[in-house]
Amino acid sequence: MRVGLFWYAAGFFMLIVMISAYLSSTSTAMANVMQAFSLFMMFCVVVSMGLLTFAMARRQQAEAQQLLAAEELIQLRRWGEAGMLLEGMLSVPMRAPQHRIQALIYLSTVLARYHRFGDAIVVQEYLLEHVRLDPGTEHGLRLGRVMSMLREDHLVDAHRAMSELRRGDNERQSPGLALLDLYRDVKNGHPQEAIDIFEERLPSLRDALGHRVGDAYYLAAKAYDMLGRDLEAQRAYERATLLAPLAELQRRYPEAASMSEKYSPVMAPAA
Amino acid sequence: MTTMISAEATVTRVRRDLTLSTMLKVLIIGGALVVFLMRNTMGSVHLLILALLGLAWIVLSYRSALGSRLAADSQSLIAAGHYEAAEEQIEQVLGAFSLFRTSKLLGIHQLAVLRHAQKRWSDAAVLCRALLGRRLGPIKGVNKQCRLMLADAMLELGDARAAHEALTGLYTQRLTLAEAINLLGVQADFQARSGNWAELFAGIESKVQLAELMPAAMAARTQAMLALAAKKSGREDWASWLTRRTELLADVQELCTRRPIVWELWAVENVNARDSAETSS
Repeated sequence: MRVGLFWYAAGFFMLIVMISAYLSSTSTAMANVMQAFSLFMMFCVVVSMGLLTFAMARRQQAEAQQLLAAEELIQLRRWGEAGMLLEGMLSVPMRAPQHRIQALIYLSTVLARYHRFGDAIVVQEYLLEHVRLDPGTEHGLRLGRVMSMLREDHLVDAHRAMSELRRGDNERQSPGLALLDLYRDVKNGHPQEAIDIFEERLPSLRDALGHRVGDAYYLAAKAYDMLGRDLEAQRAYERATLLAPLAELQRRYPEAASMSEKYSPVMAPAA
Repeated sequence: MTTMISAEATVTRVRRDLTLSTMLKVLIIGGALVVFLMRNTMGSVHLLILALLGLAWIVLSYRSALGSRLAADSQSLIAAGHYEAAEEQIEQVLGAFSLFRTSKLLGIHQLAVLRHAQKRWSDAAVLCRALLGRRLGPIKGVNKQCRLMLADAMLELGDARAAHEALTGLYTQRLTLAEAINLLGVQADFQARSGNWAELFAGIESKVQLAELMPAAMAARTQAMLALAAKKSGREDWASWLTRRTELLADVQELCTRRPIVWELWAVENVNARDSAETSS
């Protein structure tokens, strides 16, 4: 479509040039008129180019603002609205490729939230294969993909992906990867290994994850529970529910949801 | 090892560079205008001069755009904790000549962000003040971040009044979520220092929700302040809940050393009362 329009525009331009050349050659008066007309047209072209550039910049700015809104909705866990906004954005061609990439990253988060892990993996793999991302973003995306694999019970794929992450992660000792290790060990029925990781990495998990360290406490509670260490499990469970809502933890780790029958959570005070 | 750029020297140098670039712009535009008006007397030479002036404008604009790009890129280096690399990059931006104000002002802004991240509060304050005192034009978006950094730096330097002045300009502006989170952190600190407990406790639920999105250290500090406000407002349930959260997010000893006001939460009688409340529940 754009190529077609371009050639029409080029043809029209050639036609104008030829007509003006012909008219200019007919008389001196006409040549003066054509010169004034050309000047006017040139002015119009410059002004319209400026306006077009301005309009495009405004649209790009609006796109960036929509993306910021999607990010904020995800942070505030308003998943439905975030999903709708991203669907609207990705249904039409986006102006900046980097905006589209960012929107796809957010989409994979929303898909995982709605337990559509297969779809999330498709989006994450597309991004990892086709887009050159900065190391931090790529690492985050790979962590998200492993989490989706674990949730889909693609344990062999997850194990391989975690080994790859670990190879590239020697310097960072990423807390995100430690959390995945914890989850995998709980899921695979290796509670002692999970507890070892938890006890060794707790300070770094706390500093890097902030309130999401509640996830680590929740998984540790499950590991203690599996070993019959009920007192420690209760304490970790309390700490987990102190930092994050129980419903959110159960949604993230359904394997550990049965603990709610055995242990008491800490509830937030009423306003 | 990179030498650290001095804040005062940077401000002076940027001020001089901005004056120079304005003079150069006036010179190029004025020169082009004069040449155009004298085109009949100058003959075809005027075309050559106009072309040279145009070329100079394009080359200098390109260099300015590169500087702006370099300044923007340093943000990711600061976020990743690569302070030395960021310092080098910012030095390049501030050292190079730029035709437009934007790249120099962005350079100052990034240097302020770097100094703030390095906890060099007085330098950060000097740079933020220099930036806020100028017309920011197309980068007016940095104004809010600058005010937040200035307020935080002033609180760290113990000047609550200056912090309040910096914050005042933010209340009338529309903030992004990230800015609102930062504002809450600084505001809680300020209100706790000024003993404004009722105001700090007001809207506790939404404040806690925002605090949950903060990095660990800031979340701990803010929730400790909120716990103190809850305690002063007679809401022991909130005070105890927030204090326990704080303990899970930060080293209490370190937190109290940085903010001695929150020691009260861990005073012996409070810890005993909380322990007995937990036991009975």
